[in-house]
Amino acid sequence: MEVKKTQTKAFSNLIASFVLIAFEIWAWLQTNAIKTAKNAAVQPSTFPRIMIIGMAVFTVILLIQSLIKLGSMKPDDPLAEKAETLNIFKDRGVLAALGVIALCALYVYFFKSLGYVVVSFFLCGIIMWIIGLRNPVKLILISLLVPLGMWLIFYKMLQVNIPMGWLQFLKDLVDKI
Amino acid sequence: MDWNLLFSSYSNVFLDPTTLLMTLLGAAGGVLLGAIPGMTATMGVALLIPFSFGMDLIPSIGLLLGIYCGGMYGGSISAILIHAPGTPSAAATLLDGYPMAQKGEAGKALSVAMFSSFCGGVIGALIMTFLSPLVAKVAMKFTSAEMLMLAVFGLSVIISISGKSIAKGLISAFFGMLLCTIGLDPTYSKQRFTFGVTSLKGGLSFIPVLIGLFAVAEVIAGVERIIAGRESAQAKSSEKITRVLPDGKTIGQIMPNIFSGGIIGTFIGAIPGAGGDIAVFVSYAFNKGVSKHPEKWGTGIPNGVAATESANNGCSGGAMIPLLSLGVPGDSVTAILLGAFIMKGIQPGPMMYVSELPTVYKVFAALMLANLAMLLVGCAGVRVFAKIVSLEKRMLYPIILVVSLLGAFSINKNVFDIGVCVLFGVIGWLMNKYEFPLSPILLALILGPMCEQNFVRFMDLNGGNFGAIRNYPIAIGFFVVAVGVVVFSLINQQKINKREAANKASAVE
Repeated sequence: MEVKKTQTKAFSNLIASFVLIAFEIWAWLQTNAIKTAKNAAVQPSTFPRIMIIGMAVFTVILLIQSLIKLGSMKPDDPLAEKAETLNIFKDRGVLAALGVIALCALYVYFFKSLGYVVVSFFLCGIIMWIIGLRNPVKLILISLLVPLGMWLIFYKMLQVNIPMGWLQFLKDLVDKI
Repeated sequence: MDWNLLFSSYSNVFLDPTTLLMTLLGAAGGVLLGAIPGMTATMGVALLIPFSFGMDLIPSIGLLLGIYCGGMYGGSISAILIHAPGTPSAAATLLDGYPMAQKGEAGKALSVAMFSSFCGGVIGALIMTFLSPLVAKVAMKFTSAEMLMLAVFGLSVIISISGKSIAKGLISAFFGMLLCTIGLDPTYSKQRFTFGVTSLKGGLSFIPVLIGLFAVAEVIAGVERIIAGRESAQAKSSEKITRVLPDGKTIGQIMPNIFSGGIIGTFIGAIPGAGGDIAVFVSYAFNKGVSKHPEKWGTGIPNGVAATESANNGCSGGAMIPLLSLGVPGDSVTAILLGAFIMKGIQPGPMMYVSELPTVYKVFAALMLANLAMLLVGCAGVRVFAKIVSLEKRMLYPIILVVSLLGAFSINKNVFDIGVCVLFGVIGWLMNKYEFPLSPILLALILGPMCEQNFVRFMDLNGGNFGAIRNYPIAIGFFVVAVGVVVFSLINQQKINKREAANKASAVE
């Protein structure tokens, strides 16, 4: 089955090139905000600018390569293959991936207030449920014991103090033991 | 060289039960620590150094070297099994180690990593024993010009780890170098890309970025594949591990990679400021470049694991060279070891070879013992470690995620780092999806700060005249080699593309 040009890897490379060019312009504008240093042979903004120029050069090369490929594409060309999509309506996997990202964002937000074990319990449990683990015993045990075990290793053996939030009493309990 | 003294020092160390026990304990602790994403060998040594206070010098050095060598190998375990390098120097191991695990050869990958780490460590220890004063002399000639060109040389391997598209690989690399410039400028302390966020002033922490790009991105992609039906949630490895060491055929196949990796690792490790994280990529690129089948590299072959792991552990011997010969630590672990020596009343440096020669030889022996201990611990653990991938994917992915996010937090005990880790997880997922290679970012993150600092220092010292580089022959040598590597890699990549096209055509026919 022949793939539409707009669904090919060459076209996704073209889109990526435009996104990257926009990023490079934004990054370049940000370098204008970097303060200059007196009597410096190399200004603090010089190195980032060199990197942006380097990135831009290869982005333009990618853009040109994509345009050439789109202009004269052969069916057996690797870039004529179907590209991955980010459309949540066409691919349920993308929706699930975005769900995991959203859960991770909530994880970061609540990490300090709820504590590592509680947020990890929810993150671990919800993801396991999303990807098909329906056995409640397994689901609860893994989601609880893995973060608890990791906390114990980090807290007692490696002496890394991890926020415990709601379960602060566990820390006091372990300290007493 | 005083052979009698060398022999008696080795036998003293190898026959002392306390040293044996401490080194074994150190190796076991190091392997476990290294296997946890976010825990580096440096942290392990720093964490356990208080336990060595009450011991004699050699058992305490044995303990610390055991952690060092064990940690170097331990980092490869999580890289191979869960796509999350436990330590920065295991970052290149996942290029072939993880694909091997995906093919159901996790046990083989682990045993190759362990055997190569051991051999690399022994090569490093032997070079350290016989050539340390000589290597140290060359290494100490490195000024900002040589360090700059060493970084450029390191970056020249990007093409060979770029995969199918060199343009995409170089975009990734420049993006990585740009990321290094976030935070305070190292020379004039001017803020760059901080957007008023205090946590960004110190720049992005390497470990959270590393964990995000590889482990978190893999979890997001894994969930996506399972829901889209491209991977089974119940999938698990059913590999039966019949042996803990690689078989004779595999050893024969990987031996050249181990030798070259060990030597590259030792010499790069001997340069202060350059460590295992650089050596592994240089070794990988070198071995891929000289391979008859470069197109197989990155698809899960033992040679890729051997090339990186031997370089990784070769560095441990290399880093000891400037420490003992000149009193200059080769990396962060040896900086802590320097403190341990001083605490015991011994000042490493040129005079150590005159006044403390028996101690020097005992340190050589302790390093050799540490590598042996690492091998023993590794052999005992291969079956246990490999069990991790026998978990169903629907359990494994969430576990990887919560362990990885904790690893990201533990580096600076800062929630901001978990955010960075998640952000780079998303970036890594998108980059993988659209075939932008991740390894060049990693290499750029390692070499970027070294490149910028030495570039600015060199330009300041030479009044902004970059042409003055011609007065530094070693730097010019590195530059010429870097250009050679780029040209060679380009030719090699063309060969790979042609061969792959031919294979595809024959498959269609």
